[in-house]
Amino acid sequence: MSSSPVPQASGDREPLPRLLRLRAGVARGWPYAPAAIPIVLTLVVVLTLVDASHLQNFGWSFFSFNTGAYGIGVFVLGSFLTSVPALALAMAIGLGVAISSTTYLPRWLSGWLDPFVDLLAGIPSIIYGLWGWLILAPFLASNVYAWSTVHLAWIPGLEPITSAPASPAANGAGLASGIVILTLMILPITTLLMRDALQSVPRDLWESGLALGATRWEVSRRVAIPYAKRGILGAAFLGFGRAIGETVAVAMVIGQAAVVPTNAYAHTTTMASYIISTFQTALEPGVVGRTTLHFLAELGLVLLAITLLVNLAGRWMIRRTFANVAGL
Amino acid sequence: MSGPPAGVGETVVAVEDVSVRSRDRLLLDGISIDFAARSLTAVVGPSGCGKTTFIRTLNRMTELTPGLKVRGTIRYLGQNIYAPGVNPVVVRRRMGMVFQRPTVFPMSVFENAAFGLRIVHAPEEEVDAAVTEALQRAGLWEEVRADLDGSALALSGGQQQRLCIARALAVRPRVLLLDEPTSALDPAATQRVESTLERLKEDIVLVLVTHNVGQAARISDRIAFLHSGKLVEVGATADILERPREKLTEQFITGRFE
Amino acid sequence: MSPSEPLISVPAIDDLRRDRSGHLVGRTVLDRSAKWLLPLLYLVAIGPILSLVYWISVRAVPTLSWHVLTTNPSGEAGGLYAPLMGSLAIILLATAVAVAFGFLGGLATAEYLSDRAAETVRVSANVFAGTPAIILGLFGYFALVEYLGWGPSLAAASVTLGIFMTPYVFRATDLAYASIPRHIREAAVGSGARPVQYLLRIATPIAFPQVLTGIFLAMAIGVGETAPLVLTTNQYSLPPTGLFSKAGALPLDIWGAYQNPLPGIVTAAFQSAFLLLVIVVGLNVIVRVVAVRSRRRLEGLYR
Repeated sequence: MSSSPVPQASGDREPLPRLLRLRAGVARGWPYAPAAIPIVLTLVVVLTLVDASHLQNFGWSFFSFNTGAYGIGVFVLGSFLTSVPALALAMAIGLGVAISSTTYLPRWLSGWLDPFVDLLAGIPSIIYGLWGWLILAPFLASNVYAWSTVHLAWIPGLEPITSAPASPAANGAGLASGIVILTLMILPITTLLMRDALQSVPRDLWESGLALGATRWEVSRRVAIPYAKRGILGAAFLGFGRAIGETVAVAMVIGQAAVVPTNAYAHTTTMASYIISTFQTALEPGVVGRTTLHFLAELGLVLLAITLLVNLAGRWMIRRTFANVAGL
Repeated sequence: MSGPPAGVGETVVAVEDVSVRSRDRLLLDGISIDFAARSLTAVVGPSGCGKTTFIRTLNRMTELTPGLKVRGTIRYLGQNIYAPGVNPVVVRRRMGMVFQRPTVFPMSVFENAAFGLRIVHAPEEEVDAAVTEALQRAGLWEEVRADLDGSALALSGGQQQRLCIARALAVRPRVLLLDEPTSALDPAATQRVESTLERLKEDIVLVLVTHNVGQAARISDRIAFLHSGKLVEVGATADILERPREKLTEQFITGRFE
Repeated sequence: MSPSEPLISVPAIDDLRRDRSGHLVGRTVLDRSAKWLLPLLYLVAIGPILSLVYWISVRAVPTLSWHVLTTNPSGEAGGLYAPLMGSLAIILLATAVAVAFGFLGGLATAEYLSDRAAETVRVSANVFAGTPAIILGLFGYFALVEYLGWGPSLAAASVTLGIFMTPYVFRATDLAYASIPRHIREAAVGSGARPVQYLLRIATPIAFPQVLTGIFLAMAIGVGETAPLVLTTNQYSLPPTGLFSKAGALPLDIWGAYQNPLPGIVTAAFQSAFLLLVIVVGLNVIVRVVAVRSRRRLEGLYR
């Protein structure tokens, strides 16, 4: 053992932190090479998609709403039309739940309820999809949409349009159901992250607020939320990433039509759900050959670019917010 | 400043036979003590003696700990603060509190000091005046006047603690409760907080919990010595330090505890 | 005058029963409303899981039997043997891939990289974890099914899913090794342990439960993931026989039912969903138990 080739002497020359990094000892054989795995995987995925797309149309028509000319407008619009409202709802509801958990509910009760929320975050989207398709959407159609088309018709976007795809379908599939299912799906993760953020507010800070004669609500709103801003922002960005990338569950309730929705009940599609729904047909050789397949790869690249941008923007904003809070 | 001033020696807070019980033990046992206007009373005792619990009963902060039961009466200018119909939110505005560590909020210096006024939607002129006055009384004005909109978290520890004092003073309480306010500060910052407190006692009632007999000797008028939840002895600072009546008190002030 | 009434005349500002600001009622009402109304939002958060578990159980349990679990699907009559075995094979192979990539990557990042380089790798791992599964599915199809010519197969599905699960294992491993307290490392190096000895005898036993938790979590996430499978394998009525044979899976059954909603197939979809639910909840419970036990065991280290 003592005659091992490990160059111990070099370890002695290293400053302490590097010595502790073990690096000196096993420098032979590049033991740090596997650390490149995440970067390499990302690159391989991107390059594969670039290659598969054949970059067949990166002209103006690509960014148009003309689906006949392989424009991505409808799909991008559909993704944002579902993700943005879903995120707004999930953030609002999640913040309410997080505040009740950390502020109002007795510890034993939140201790019982919160694990359910956490568990929900792990339910596969295909199960949400099945439930949304056969249980939730038909329920919404017969109970909510039936009511809202009559009583909320004055709100732009909720007015019923008599042409077939734009009045609520009996099975409830459409934009509104897509938003609802997405909200429910990202709600657990936003709730969980915001609860963690609010729990990290020091007890002293809480008590100082109350000692100034503030109510719990005032301390939550004016002290705890600003303090937890970073975690709350993080929840928003993560939630949005989940929402825009969500595939099967949305595909099963949105009605799958590559058209701009005319109202909230209309069938439409999203980038991710279009890819999965169209994939099998794209494989079948037809008059267009592999053009559709290339297009799906392009759509994938756009989706990847959006999630990447959102991720990096989130990172940057969170760092900036933190700098503000720390007064640096 | 804090409404019509109460006369010297007039009782502002009267504690009558107060006991506090948690689920499994008695934390305070039959405490009775009066706090007069314009005085600084130091509450001293070994750790775990109930000093912190004691000052938290004075502004009903004990209610935040589940399972604590408070018995007895605490009167603020003759009114029982635990009487039904008294809102703790109102009690706490009359009796401010400062904690062990500085607890500035993640906002500007000005907004920190203005917090107590913002929550009651005080008019802007009133907020400006009150914040300026509070920062002056806390001895922080000269240091922060140039950058009132800067983040409070950029201040030093000692400045943050004086900002917390200013924040409590901005709602013009008659009583300020201080829970070991200098235990997280270095000696220079401690000295500045102490001189602030010495000036404030010309004005309002200060109740200072401290584990540091030296600090009590430097700035208090009166020392109350707590031990295992009981008030062992209370008297003028000089009397307690030089001629303690009880053996326990003597042992504590001569450092034969802890 | 009762004893609780003020004995002397109290200035208005000091009257504890009077509200000088005039806003106290509004503030109190706001606070009370928040106290009673905000918890109702828990219904929105938890209601779905109750409905979901109820409906899936109601539709699945009465039709579920040992016979269903042990026969292969044929036509509209859905047996679950093939998809169950397919899911099992896919998740085990995928876990192997994810552990090979994620564990080595995480270990190297935590132990060998400089802080700066490690930060870069961590950011890229987090970005990778944020990549939608459907993107990985496209990658799996173009790179594995087509370019490498594996065809829709067990191997293509497992490797794709494994790559999707990699960042979770990576993160858990990195965190587990990087958070070993410095004093333990110093003590080991100080007492003359060689790096390899430190790694095998000291660091790994400490980090292992956390790594294991990460692996189970990755499995729980992976087992229900559908999008990568739809693009890399097909529904199939026989259990997989080899790496390059076709392999069905439980999530594919559910997706298939959406594509072709015949009554028998939908029933099978509910059964698949029920099984998946049981597996996912089971894995989550294991994660919780392991996490709690290892935290208790390690508490002493961090004092």
